Amino acid sequence: MKRKWNRLIPLIITVGQVVVFPYYVIWLKGVSLTFTLFAWLFATHSFSAAWGYRTFQTKKNKQKSHISFVYFGMGCAYLVVGQFNIEMDLLPYIALILQVLLGFLQGYFRAWHVEQDSYHLHAVNHYILVGWIMISLSFIKIISPVVIISMFGWLLCGCGLLKMLGKNVSN
Amino acid sequence: MKRIVKSPWILCFLVLIIVILVAFNIPIEKRKYGLAQSGMTTDYTGLLPEHVDRVVKATNRTDLQNIVKQANLEGKHISIAGLQHSQGGHTYYKDGIVIDMRTFNKVMEVNKQEKTVRVEAGASWEDVQKAVQPYGLALKVTQSQSIFTIGGSLSVNAHGRDIRFGPMADMVKEITLLTPKGDIKTIRKNDALMGYVLGGYGLFGVILDVTLDLTDNELYTIHTNKMKTSEYESYFKDVQSNAEIAMHYARVSVAPSSFLDEMYAIDYYKTGKYDQKTKLKEESFVHLTKYSLDMGRQGGFLEDLFWNTQNLYMKQIENSQITRNNVMRSESTFMEFTKPGKVEVLQEFFVPVGEYGEYMKDLKQFLPANDADDDFKIHNITIRYAAKDKTTSLNYAKEDMLGLVILIQHGLQEDDVQNAKKMIQKWTDITLTHGGTYYLPYYPYQTKEQFKESYTNWKDFKDEKQKLDPNEVFINNFYQNYLK
Ligand SMILES: Cc1cc2nc3c(=O)[nH]c(=O)nc-3n(C[C@H](O)[C@H](O)[C@H](O)COP(=O)(O)OP(=O)(O)OC[C@H]3O[C@@H](n4cnc5c(N)ncnc54)[C@H](O)[C@@H]3O)c2cc1C
Repeated sequence: MKRKWNRLIPLIITVGQVVVFPYYVIWLKGVSLTFTLFAWLFATHSFSAAWGYRTFQTKKNKQKSHISFVYFGMGCAYLVVGQFNIEMDLLPYIALILQVLLGFLQGYFRAWHVEQDSYHLHAVNHYILVGWIMISLSFIKIISPVVIISMFGWLLCGCGLLKMLGKNVSN
Repeated sequence: MKRIVKSPWILCFLVLIIVILVAFNIPIEKRKYGLAQSGMTTDYTGLLPEHVDRVVKATNRTDLQNIVKQANLEGKHISIAGLQHSQGGHTYYKDGIVIDMRTFNKVMEVNKQEKTVRVEAGASWEDVQKAVQPYGLALKVTQSQSIFTIGGSLSVNAHGRDIRFGPMADMVKEITLLTPKGDIKTIRKNDALMGYVLGGYGLFGVILDVTLDLTDNELYTIHTNKMKTSEYESYFKDVQSNAEIAMHYARVSVAPSSFLDEMYAIDYYKTGKYDQKTKLKEESFVHLTKYSLDMGRQGGFLEDLFWNTQNLYMKQIENSQITRNNVMRSESTFMEFTKPGKVEVLQEFFVPVGEYGEYMKDLKQFLPANDADDDFKIHNITIRYAAKDKTTSLNYAKEDMLGLVILIQHGLQEDDVQNAKKMIQKWTDITLTHGGTYYLPYYPYQTKEQFKESYTNWKDFKDEKQKLDPNEVFINNFYQNYLK
């Protein structure tokens, strides 16, 4: 059972990331004040993801992946997004830090994920699940982006916890 | 490229550089105000949203004439808007027509020999500066920033850092006016109508274009002086009698540990050199100045820290040189304030130069030194000189005055607004006992009685308005509030 969960978590996370993406973009656009800043924030995310990806790739001991902390880190970043009032002066700066953090962790996670046996099976399921979820979400008309983002944050923290527990049990 | 992609450290470094670049380029959020706020019109503070019938962009004189004539026939009301930095609904009226002058902004002629400029009234000082600077010319009187329209500035008879050329009204040679009846008329210096149009808050017709006297774009040396507030009155009298000083302003501490006790005076000394080459300065270090002011906005020891950083700034600018044009275009973006539930407003009180010392003593008794925990907060006080004005009817300077420009923050809840009203009305009373007045482009916290006591000519102004505009075609919230 635990093994099954451990195999399922990466799928939940990849699907969740895509599903939450449009909501995150709406939040980010609201925070960005100008399109230039919006584009720069995305660029920051991309460069950080390259950094995270390469950090995992060049890791000597890949068995010690610390992936549960990566889940926690991503979860906390999304929870922070859910916490901040859109009118705050410092929000663009907070968004910048979050973009670096999320980019790095997502890059790191992806580099780890592609090396898992289940990766190719996940890829197919991922596309199908995202399709179904997005269609379902399209029927929910009034929901604030920060609610979905926060829910995903909690889910990621839960995954981190499960992963940690799973590891302790197998140890 | 390969090496960059290979090493995580190089990628980390790249991310760091991008983060620094982005952080320095995050724009400062600007207030959203003006003629297109989701159906409701506002001005700079957004405090008085109002529905207007329509907004007409001014493009040509004949169209504007037709609108005015039509309004006379149909009993419609018209208000005039420049850049809407006034704060009391001066640019609109419930269900009225608003003429947006910003599109009427050509600089028509610069006459180097006569040192004059003719310009359409929707142009900003910035537009005029750009046009006259290549001729080595500069304006005689403006506000300390160049973000206002000519029409808007003349209609409030503004003042700034110049201390030699008298009130703004004095630099106006000629005005082309679209009268309340729809005629186009030229008025010249010493015409009686001049005194009603200048400082007339858009109530005597549309200023279409103006011819202004200019002066040379001289280079000045900045000297700063720190002093006790009690010393300023005699210091200023020395400044007035020192012909070497062309421009001047001062800052008063609002930090708790030196509240209304300490001041800086900034003087601009003539160098005898004239300048055609120095570029008009653009805003710089906006983030730094904005976050310093934000620090001061927190009150308490942070406001002390902010005052001390200004001390460093004064040392830094001491002995530096600046052109006249650049003195007249101070930064403004750093003042942006967009905190929900709060508003920042300006007020200005004038007292005769000889009353300054005693007035400040009274203010010290009245205002709390530390307002960190209060809703009504004072963030900044600067002092400007307002020269005796013999032209305008609604005259705030019947003799040489010192104006205290005050930046105030307060909440938007009914209680907070009422409290602000109470504070400002008391402040106005104190000003009146010293033979002072208050400035009219701002939010009308004052009572009608205080208005009448400050502007003793109000009746003549109103009578003339009724005579020249019997149908009340040109009307705005300012008129409604004080004169109706
Ligand atoms: C941040 C800030 C700093 C300021 N600093 C100073 C300062 O240093 N010194 C000072 O004296 N004032 C200062 N002011 C006040 C400012 O000078 C006035 O509010 C001025 O009217 C702003 O010009 P505007 O183009 O925004 O005019 P608006 O607010 O658009 O209009 C002001 C008045 O002029 C009338 N008007 C506009 N155009 C015309 C026209 N073409 N014909 C007839 N009437 C017209 C309007 O109907 C209205 O009654 C400051 C204001 C702000 C917000």
